[in-house]
Amino acid sequence: MRILVLIPCYNEEANIVRAVRRLEETCPGVDYLVINDCSTDSSGEILRREGMNYLDLPVNLGIGGGVQCGYRYAIANGYDIAIQMDGDGQHDPAYLMDVVRPVMEGKLDLCIGSRFLKKEGFQTSFMRRVGIRFLSFLIYFLSGVRVLDVTSGFRASNRKMMEFFNRHYATDYPEPEAILSASLTGYRVGEVPVIMQERQGGVSSISAFKSIYFMVKVSLSLIISRLALHRNKRRTAQ
Amino acid sequence: MTFRLQLFLILGTLVLLTVIYIFLKKSLLTVKYSLAWLGLSLALLIFAIWPYCVYVIRDLLDMVMPSNVIFLLLFGFVLLVLLSLSVAVSQLATKNKTLTQANALLEKRVRELEKRLFKE
Repeated sequence: MRILVLIPCYNEEANIVRAVRRLEETCPGVDYLVINDCSTDSSGEILRREGMNYLDLPVNLGIGGGVQCGYRYAIANGYDIAIQMDGDGQHDPAYLMDVVRPVMEGKLDLCIGSRFLKKEGFQTSFMRRVGIRFLSFLIYFLSGVRVLDVTSGFRASNRKMMEFFNRHYATDYPEPEAILSASLTGYRVGEVPVIMQERQGGVSSISAFKSIYFMVKVSLSLIISRLALHRNKRRTAQ
Repeated sequence: MTFRLQLFLILGTLVLLTVIYIFLKKSLLTVKYSLAWLGLSLALLIFAIWPYCVYVIRDLLDMVMPSNVIFLLLFGFVLLVLLSLSVAVSQLATKNKTLTQANALLEKRVRELEKRLFKE
């Protein structure tokens, strides 16, 4: 099984080297690809100097477009499993194989690393937890799939899932929408517990000011994609 | 509808049509996107030349002033044009995203090829 770790990177000069080195130490048998989403700081320079495996987007596409580009790369280069991991040090590579395992064993098509299953490690602020819980309920209500950590960007997909994401992937805040569209199309989505760290430097992509826009946009797009898609029969082993 | 309003409408529409024509000629505007505008100005011209259509619509909608009918319909047309522009922008955004991704993937391949050539 060839596994590729996708690391979206936007202005992560403070963290990206540490994150990649830590990944190389922890999971030596795994390839990685940093996707530099037209960073305005020295991230691109650092990636080149350190001789890392990276993609350089000429225009800023946002996390969705960047990650989708990573999936295109994974498909073109014949990877079996692609796993997304943030470049800010929040996601510990020690849990990488935990997230990959259900996909590798063929139990799930999309497996999400969740910080809420075992309430350990960094749990984010109270308001964000309320927001995430609401989105989680909305996804459960719309698709019947129970995922607690819907905004987690620590997720593994198999080949079929990658091909789906290559065709459809939301642009703005894609994580919750990807869960919904994947489960409504009939892919098996689930989560495993992981422990997350607080980010080690830089700023989060979702500022307090943007969070209202985030909630409205995500809720609306969830409802619209539910209306647009008809639930297929689950493709379980029956 | 007064004669003066009629005249004003005809004049305004002719100006609009001329501007569209010039834009098309200088290819500042493609035919695809000019269609909505041409439809709008043609409708306006018909209203101005045959006010009878406006009177019929006024009676159907139970409005008082024929000029209000023109404003209402014009507003509806403008909404349609704006909506079609939003569609066009969204399509362009999707195409732009795909192109950006393709470019990044190609750039990586070129970079790696150059590196390999350099070594030899």
